[in-house]
Amino acid sequence: MSETTQTTEQTGIESDQPLETTSGETEEQVREKWREYKFDGRTKLAVEDLDVHYGDDHALKGVSIEIPENSVTALIGPSGCGKSTFLRCLNRMNDRIRSARIDGSVRLDGQEIYQEGVNLVELRKRVGMVFQSPNPFPKSIRENIAYGPEKHGDINTGLLARLLGRADEESREQLVERCLRDAALWDEVKDRLGDNALGLSGGQQQRLCIARCLSVDPEVILMDEPASALDPIATAKIEDLIEELSEEYTVVIVTHNMQQAARISDQTAVFLTGGELVEYGNTDQVFEDPQSERVEDYITGKFG
Amino acid sequence: MAGATQTNLITGDTSQTNAVAAGAVALAALLFALSLAALFEIVTISDPVAGVPIVTLLGLILVTLGGSVIVFGVGSYLDYVETQPSPSAGLVAAAVFSGVWFTVGGLVASQTFGLSGLAWLSVALLTGAGAFALTALPPEDIGSTLPAGALTLLTGLVFVTGTIGPAWVWELRFEQQASFTAEFVIPTATLLAALLSGWAAAKAYGGFGARGRHMGAYVLIYLNASSIVGVLFVLVAFTTTKGIPGLLTGAELGSGPDVTLFGITFGLPFSVPFVMNGVALLNDFQGVLPAIVGTIWLVIGAVLFAVPLGVGAAIFLTEYAERGRLTQAVEVATNGLWSTPSIVFGLFGFAFLIPRFGGNKSLISGMLTLSFMLLPLVLITSREAILAVPDEYRDASAALGVSKWQTIRSVVIPAALPGVVTGVILGVGRIAGETAPILLTMTGGTFIPGGQTVDVIGGFRFTATPPFVANPELLQATTALPFQLYALVRAGVGLGDNVTNPEQFQWATALILLVVVLSFYAVGICARYYFRRRLKHE
Repeated sequence: MSETTQTTEQTGIESDQPLETTSGETEEQVREKWREYKFDGRTKLAVEDLDVHYGDDHALKGVSIEIPENSVTALIGPSGCGKSTFLRCLNRMNDRIRSARIDGSVRLDGQEIYQEGVNLVELRKRVGMVFQSPNPFPKSIRENIAYGPEKHGDINTGLLARLLGRADEESREQLVERCLRDAALWDEVKDRLGDNALGLSGGQQQRLCIARCLSVDPEVILMDEPASALDPIATAKIEDLIEELSEEYTVVIVTHNMQQAARISDQTAVFLTGGELVEYGNTDQVFEDPQSERVEDYITGKFG
Repeated sequence: MAGATQTNLITGDTSQTNAVAAGAVALAALLFALSLAALFEIVTISDPVAGVPIVTLLGLILVTLGGSVIVFGVGSYLDYVETQPSPSAGLVAAAVFSGVWFTVGGLVASQTFGLSGLAWLSVALLTGAGAFALTALPPEDIGSTLPAGALTLLTGLVFVTGTIGPAWVWELRFEQQASFTAEFVIPTATLLAALLSGWAAAKAYGGFGARGRHMGAYVLIYLNASSIVGVLFVLVAFTTTKGIPGLLTGAELGSGPDVTLFGITFGLPFSVPFVMNGVALLNDFQGVLPAIVGTIWLVIGAVLFAVPLGVGAAIFLTEYAERGRLTQAVEVATNGLWSTPSIVFGLFGFAFLIPRFGGNKSLISGMLTLSFMLLPLVLITSREAILAVPDEYRDASAALGVSKWQTIRSVVIPAALPGVVTGVILGVGRIAGETAPILLTMTGGTFIPGGQTVDVIGGFRFTATPPFVANPELLQATTALPFQLYALVRAGVGLGDNVTNPEQFQWATALILLVVVLSFYAVGICARYYFRRRLKHE
């Protein structure tokens, strides 16, 4: 109990004084160290000095991180630490919040996404997103999957196309099957593709949302606590799915569940209260030998 | 009492007393229905049933009800009946009873005994305070039954003894010669007594305490809700019974007129002249066909103008506009427009629209005037419906890279459609029966021959000069059911000798107006059901 109190106090004065770390170094030194953390593979997303303000609220403070291709990167931390904000910066979903102000740089394959003339449609096709609570459209399963490609004009199933005989019914069926197979949902719903998606169970709905996200051929999939509203069995299915997806896609996942992060992720980034990225590195290393004392407290459950 | 081994959970043998209390509740409900029926003159209070006038019968039931309520209350107080009464019936009940008894005491003192000024006021205050004390001070079983039961008993005795009989009149001695007749006073007093006693009996049935209060509130709410249904039913039944004879005048099977639909002409297997004829000198039977068609076109036109505008404005306000001065101004304007009196819309149409559509009253001026009236409601309800669409849908669509307009079109509007349709249903219900605006903008002669029935679709002509389309039918004055009804009732002109019974004709017109408006309702409700179904299961 006293330790918890102490930690809280430390948190309160953290911004003024560097804190002690497990290795006796200052937190600043630790941070320098993990900033040079090198992973195998190519950098997919490079974030530099990202600051986000919601009105007067400073939600993210100078976050810099590099996310490698075809891997799972977990973002963990207590509530309100800015993980979700960070995630939503990666495909500019924060643009939809009027009070948000974003400074800094995010590069996707070396291209700055926060500059004039970025095609948001193209960006969001390449960086897809799955939300915390399953949010399928109140349409049929088939329409849910085909929605994105249809709106982008990649497949034509409109009335005019049907009348002119140009409808791509077949390619739509193939797309629906491929996405549902990739999301491990095909066997459960193949006989009722015309049913309303809201009739599926919560876990099925979330896998449908993942399938819908896959339908526009993204390169990066952002997941905002995708399993937090699901029961353990559905969660296990989603976790298996994420591990499979990481072979082809770059997955960035926000989670509250530290066991989940430890199970599925290759890299882990720890955000702590105040919107700071405190530690980032190989998942095993972060969980077994955290460099910062605050991170160790958080991971061992003393704080947060 | 047999239930000596009662525990807290399981009450003992109280079924007999429960049955008595339930019977009292049923009596109260019966009285409630009877007094409503008498109020609407479905039953006449002086009519005898089995040799006894209904008013005496009402009195007898009231005496029984009041007596049983009092007996139950006192029995509970003396522990003959097992109940769990609270220490007091509460201040609300006390205030209500004291108000009722204040009025009763005051009326009896001033009217029956002719006391003046201070004297009757002090009597009234005394009875009011007495009722308050009787309700608030003793335990609940006495407090909530005695004042109600005594009032019911008193009312019943007054009716049985004939102190207030069918011929009784209370002259108010105002300049206007106003008076209360027994036809009004007896049902009203019965209604009040039945409500209070029904409440008390329901409390008794629940054994007082928390459960009793629940039962009491349940009975009150149930009676209120059913009286709303009852009023609607009475209204429809009244109009129908009065309207049916006029509607069926000259109706017969077998020899219907020819109807042309989409180029195919066929003879109907029946003939109802009232809805198939206009008014003409040589007709055997007169009818209101032009007015029916006029009303239908009027509503269709108003909906066609108002719905795209209203829904479009709602989309702009909810999805695109930043919340600020503009949206606030639109909100105030919308609410103001919705509460603007219809005659003002009519005047606006008369002074502004008519000069711009050829200077004569015309169908299109009527449509536009009514669409202005419909617009604010469509806007308000569509806004609410669009705001109620979860943001998750918009997020999900945006995360797929779909543009805002496409999101609105394919996700937001389908999800909001049931709400939008609800708004249109409500609005159509209002405008379809509107008389004042069309009186000033649309209606020409009251009675139009069947041959001049407005034919909007057939009226379109292509012209060689811009705007290339003309429709003289839209620019013609026509009639509509509400206006026709108004003209019939107000002036009664134009029927001539061909209508043998003008009153039947008027009621039949009212019935047809009701049927047309309810049909629009039905269409709207079906549409909403369809869209909801599409949203939930497919």
